[in-house]
Amino acid sequence: MKPIKFKIADGITLNVISTRKFKTAQLAINFLVPLRKETAAKNTLLSAVLLRGTAKNPTIADISRKLQSLYAASVAQTNYKRGEVQVFGLYSNFIDSKYSLDGCDILGGTLDMMAEMLFDPYLVNGVFCEEYVEGEKSNLIDKIHSRINNKNSYALSRCHEEMCRDEAFGLDILGSVETVSEITAESLYEHHKQTLETARIDVFYVGAEAPETILAKVKNMFSGLSGRATESLVTEVKRSAGPIREVVDYDTVEQTKLSIGFRTGTVLSDGDYYKFSVFSEVYGSGTTSKLFMNVREKLSLCYYCQAIPEAHKGIMVVASGIEAEKYDAAREEILHQLDEVKNGNITDDEFNGAIESLYGDYMRIYDSPDMLEAWYIGRSLAGRDESPEDAAKMVKTVTREDVSEIAKKLTLDTIYTLRPSEEDK
Amino acid sequence: MTDAKKIESALLDESYYMCKHKSGLEVYVYPKAMTSSYAIFATKYGSVDSRFKLEGEQDFTEVPDGIAHFLEHKLFETEEGEDTFQRYARTGASANAYTSFNLTAYLFSCTDNFYDSLEILLDFVTKPYFSDENVKKEQGIIAQEIKMYDDNPGTNLFYGLMNSLYEKNKIRTNIAGTVESISKITPEILYKCYNTFYNPSNMILSVCGNVDVERTMELVDKYIKVSESKRIIRDYPVEGPGVFCPRFEKTFSVAKPLFEIGIKDVSISPDPRERAKKSLAVDILNDMLFGKSGKLFNDLYGEGLISRGLGASYEHNLSFSFNAISSESSDPEAVFGRFCEYCEDIKKNGFSKEDFERIKRVIYADIVKSFDSTEDIATNIVWQRLNDCDIFDSVDIIPTIDYEYTKNVFDNLFVPSSYALSIIRNPEE
Repeated sequence: MKPIKFKIADGITLNVISTRKFKTAQLAINFLVPLRKETAAKNTLLSAVLLRGTAKNPTIADISRKLQSLYAASVAQTNYKRGEVQVFGLYSNFIDSKYSLDGCDILGGTLDMMAEMLFDPYLVNGVFCEEYVEGEKSNLIDKIHSRINNKNSYALSRCHEEMCRDEAFGLDILGSVETVSEITAESLYEHHKQTLETARIDVFYVGAEAPETILAKVKNMFSGLSGRATESLVTEVKRSAGPIREVVDYDTVEQTKLSIGFRTGTVLSDGDYYKFSVFSEVYGSGTTSKLFMNVREKLSLCYYCQAIPEAHKGIMVVASGIEAEKYDAAREEILHQLDEVKNGNITDDEFNGAIESLYGDYMRIYDSPDMLEAWYIGRSLAGRDESPEDAAKMVKTVTREDVSEIAKKLTLDTIYTLRPSEEDK
Repeated sequence: MTDAKKIESALLDESYYMCKHKSGLEVYVYPKAMTSSYAIFATKYGSVDSRFKLEGEQDFTEVPDGIAHFLEHKLFETEEGEDTFQRYARTGASANAYTSFNLTAYLFSCTDNFYDSLEILLDFVTKPYFSDENVKKEQGIIAQEIKMYDDNPGTNLFYGLMNSLYEKNKIRTNIAGTVESISKITPEILYKCYNTFYNPSNMILSVCGNVDVERTMELVDKYIKVSESKRIIRDYPVEGPGVFCPRFEKTFSVAKPLFEIGIKDVSISPDPRERAKKSLAVDILNDMLFGKSGKLFNDLYGEGLISRGLGASYEHNLSFSFNAISSESSDPEAVFGRFCEYCEDIKKNGFSKEDFERIKRVIYADIVKSFDSTEDIATNIVWQRLNDCDIFDSVDIIPTIDYEYTKNVFDNLFVPSSYALSIIRNPEE
């Protein structure tokens, strides 16, 4: 199940994974651009506004009724970062026409709707409708403020932000209240036109249709666009940390959130990346990792404690939620367990468990169209093209020595803590 | 040969096998050509089952809140001291467990060595080992889990709503219990709960993927002992149709107020098929009335009164039933007012037949979509069985739901005296 690649034009690629395995299919249209302060919010806002209305279906209700009649086809916004690349656009998911009860062309109808959204949006006086733009701006500002609602993810993204405060990775893809506020219906429409003309476009289909069928439809869909010389998509990598920084925020929380950020010294484009994958698994992912077995199970210091790596940027955060009184003990143990890995103190169970677990994780990707797409987009950004199965085989060649060697490249960068406010104590 | 019944759905182009083991355990084997296989071993026992007795016993036993969840954590430990996750690590399975209001489930997903992992699953769930020492250790971990939930505004919003809708139902209390209630848990109470609810006749095993009936049943025979099965009598408090308290409010550091509107439903049929039918009818109503094609969402969103979709979900089973509609709004009271007006209008004027037929199609398509993952399939089988239904029932029931039936369900469910509103807002407001 490797994707077949077709070049639609310079900078516009179609990837097709043709499989009868699923009853549903999905098609994603992704714009890949450098993550920048000036454009992050615009990119985020753009897909939200495109979903509000098209010339033929000017309201959400119209679009929604149309998609419902296509057997609950969905078209939603994609927006995430991989390293310092923002990936945004539209994503659709729909059932195979085989399961339609009345011969409805579900694929054709869904692609038509996506084409309408991208190339024939609802306009007023030649630009996006101001009411829609203002409405989505205010929703986006709410979303930015609402980051604090989920304390676990907030503590993680604050740690990223602090670590990379002078690097693009530190930017939130939602943008900031200031950058969102500056956007107008005119400037956003201008941005839309520019995106269609200049951005790298990766279209990804996973489903039962033959590649040629999809190629013909996608070519037709993009016939109005010409080739483009796209910007290079590179992520700045700091292989090792500078002086250690400590940052503390206060909030009305019961539990203290501790996020310890490292520079890993290894990124996905490195030849020996899979050594790092195994390291990260041994140290802190999953239920046989050192962090789970020691910080949680043995010392009963927390409910969760795990290592969350970002492969493109070469950073990793150990995230945990702990009792305020146990702060020092937890912090010490997290760092101590890393030293254990560096010193080669890895048991058979820990090592083999990590390999087996990673192997399963990679192979399971074949059961999820979403994960397959994310996999290949990630690999392509790192200049690689191995399949999940290739990766699963590669992890089996990693040795225990490789794991402790790669662990030695880690350097501690930032310790971020979200503490209960003093006045609430 | 195992006595297996094949169950098929021509419409979905799917089939599976059902076997009733002599211990009373129901086993579902669902072959499916995917890369990963999935197994789930569940007991019909959750946080609401806190007062119970076995048939023939004189008195009810009442246990501390959070014990079903505590038991779930503790089963992973073995008498030999080897952690269950370590055992799974050797077969490469990814294992987990969860406790809900009325079900506790142990599960794993794997791409290889399915039967080795299935042996581990059947083995550890049938071999409890509780000691003073391991109970004490778990109290620390679960206390942190409870505090993590306490810090989650969504969790507070939901339980706030449950405390408004219900006066006595155990759904008012967090599944994990409280730091105080779990401190009362002892090995003796854990064994009492285990022996009551982990009898095979109260359990379901469901496997999906590269799986086979014979090999699965061989392992069931090996691990599941035939023991005397006694009927479990669960004492659920009886609740009237009205809400306990129409409003709940709590302050929290959130950007914008969160709200959840609840509708209490005490009209629960003893007939499983009728429950399934009503449940699907409310799913249709929720999507039609509160989804993105509905008038309420479009009006509120257009006016900026809500900044994201209205999430609507209906729970309907023998121990509780309610409908809940949630979102974020700068003015939850205003949204609630509009919701009430909207529902009154529908009560008077009905809804569009065209919309109704279109949404039936949506619900059908959502079911088709749920057959694309071994995890979804194995899990849905268990949840359907909890309600005495079959995973293929829904696609057969949908065509039997007509406009009149659905309007009648609406009129009986959307009654203002059973509405409650839960709000979480920032203290600075």
